[in-house]
Amino acid sequence: MTWYHPDSTDWTYVSRSLIPARIITLWIWIAVPAIALVVVGALTSPWVFAGLAVLLLVGLWGSWVVVRQVTAHAWMEREDDLVVKKGRLWRSVTVVPYGRMQYVEVSAGPLARAFGIATVQLHTASPGTDAAIAGVPAEEAARLRDRLSSRGEAQLAGL
Amino acid sequence: MNDPFVVNPQPGLVFRAPREWTRLHPVSPLLGGWAVMGAVVAIAAYNILPEWLGGSDAVKDTVSYIWGSILWVAVGVLLLIGIVIAMGYAQWRVNEYRLSDTAVEERKGILMKQHRQARLDRLQAVDVVQPLLARIFGFASLKIEVAGGAESGIELQFMRLGDAEAMRNELLALAAGVKRAKAQGLDASVDAVVAGAGVAPGAPFPGADAMGTQAPVVQTPDGHVPRDDSSGAATYAAAGSLRDVARPFERGVAEVAETPEREIYHVEVKRLLMSIVLSAGFWWMLSIPVIVIISIIVAGGGSLTALLAATGGGLVAILPAVLAVGGYAWNELNSGFNFRAALSEDGIRLRHGLTETRRQTLPPGRIQAVKFKQGLLWRKRDWWKVTINVAGYQDEAEKVSTLLPVGDRQDALTALWMVLPDLGDPDPAGTVSLALSGTGEDGGFTGVPQRARLFDPLQWRNRGVRATDRALFIRRGWLTREVCVVPHERTQSLGISQGPLQRARHVADVQVHSTNGPVRPVARHLDVEDAVALLDAQAARAAEGRKHQTPEQWMSAVGLRD
Repeated sequence: MTWYHPDSTDWTYVSRSLIPARIITLWIWIAVPAIALVVVGALTSPWVFAGLAVLLLVGLWGSWVVVRQVTAHAWMEREDDLVVKKGRLWRSVTVVPYGRMQYVEVSAGPLARAFGIATVQLHTASPGTDAAIAGVPAEEAARLRDRLSSRGEAQLAGL
Repeated sequence: MNDPFVVNPQPGLVFRAPREWTRLHPVSPLLGGWAVMGAVVAIAAYNILPEWLGGSDAVKDTVSYIWGSILWVAVGVLLLIGIVIAMGYAQWRVNEYRLSDTAVEERKGILMKQHRQARLDRLQAVDVVQPLLARIFGFASLKIEVAGGAESGIELQFMRLGDAEAMRNELLALAAGVKRAKAQGLDASVDAVVAGAGVAPGAPFPGADAMGTQAPVVQTPDGHVPRDDSSGAATYAAAGSLRDVARPFERGVAEVAETPEREIYHVEVKRLLMSIVLSAGFWWMLSIPVIVIISIIVAGGGSLTALLAATGGGLVAILPAVLAVGGYAWNELNSGFNFRAALSEDGIRLRHGLTETRRQTLPPGRIQAVKFKQGLLWRKRDWWKVTINVAGYQDEAEKVSTLLPVGDRQDALTALWMVLPDLGDPDPAGTVSLALSGTGEDGGFTGVPQRARLFDPLQWRNRGVRATDRALFIRRGWLTREVCVVPHERTQSLGISQGPLQRARHVADVQVHSTNGPVRPVARHLDVEDAVALLDAQAARAAEGRKHQTPEQWMSAVGLRD
């Protein structure tokens, strides 16, 4: 065993729609300096376009990272707790007991809505709890929230 | 022991938390310090401004003529003070509080209206705080901390000291009653709790006898027993105001007297001062000017000009360093001065402070995590500082989260015992001692594999983690030693993480997420198998712990109840 592979239930992987959503965001951030570079390059020296190539490479590498990250992002509902895993290079697993949940937050930006996905975030009394599941299909997100909330109420254990 | 339990000889004369919207004490705007500050600024301006403006004599003359006309100055000062007081008064007028059915509520704000609630069932701590000015005149502010994010606490500023203490006692008793009622599935509103037998505040509690006759309670190596000199400690509860005389509370419940307490330890000023002198921060700051002078001398080659420059530079460097040292030392001294810890049925009581005194009450089981820390210079004396995480203390974390500013191992063990009376270990003192000063696998700890030396060339031997039945111990630190203790039932969530280098070395970090505070328990660079096993075991232990912990258990464990 080289990493955390609990055996009880299988992981639910997040929606692949998260990949285009994240890639679009990434390329918007790439596009802004790219446009600036094009303008500067057109006015001054063509060498500036080398920067553009670098930006493109960064964008391609970023896109690859997004794909790798999204395919590693999953969650699992167990009897007493929710497990969220993410990351490839820097990977982490967070275990949140239902009884410790203060509230569950479902959020979706315009882009995420267009792709029909949402982010489900669990909040405990600890600021260190990093249990956000990005890219949950919208209806599933609502169901997940309700399920988590009811389990949280059933197992609530004060602080 | 005299009978310290009869603390309220005049029923009906003690302040009780109002059920209707009520304003704070009318002197509040004056105690905020703004009025005084305004006056001081005005006087200072009067004295200093002509000098500052300096320049030609003509300017000086004009300025001193203007300032000299005492009438103008008086008018100006009065106007300033008047504005400040008027603003304070306006704010005071809209600042009201009450005890509702489930919470303490406060509303305030003229333009930005605020309405805050501190739910009793989420109450984490109630502190009585006295800043210098308020202390001189016998006033205090009451800080009510609840679990759940920023902006959730309430600070009632100011009340008479006696009122604040009476209200604190009442809130603590009510909160305990609300919790109990909830646990029993009864109506948990304040009225129900007050009317029912759930709370009989002021009455001696059932285990009162146990306090006097308790057999040695601290499970420490030499059978150290906490000092028992609580008589009289609780007598000031009734010395409050007489505000309620005219309008006695209809329901006629007994006023809430302060529950009796037993002092566990206090920190002597001498030791506190010594601990400040022996702290690393102190020496660091002292060394700054020395380093500067030496470097200048070395660079200048020892000539006279260089020496002069060194002196000048040294002085420039010394000033902020002195200020910093002074500030640091002052903070430590001010917050740790006369530090006393006591146990009562309300929980752990802490009192400390030189100019600003603070009386904290931490209800049983509200301490989320404990950290022992020992700087290098403290090691010879085996002194430890103990800090805690308390949910709800959002700001000023350092000031309020000290359980023991400095103490020997005995005190440190006692401090932990107050929080966690039952470690779930056959030899608690031995275990904690090994946690404090062991290395590697000593005392059943799971150490860090040698592979992790890459990340921690010096302290890898000191790292270790061990779970007892009730708490998790995480040890680290080479020069400065640190041990974090998290009771299983206080674990919020758990995490395991691994970076690329760690993966190559086959190690991983395990984080135990606790509430905001100085304690951030992380077991770093564990062998991956150990880490995964720890995560699974810890999740199970936390789930088990949550099912069992109750305040009653704490009380019987620390000897307040049978």
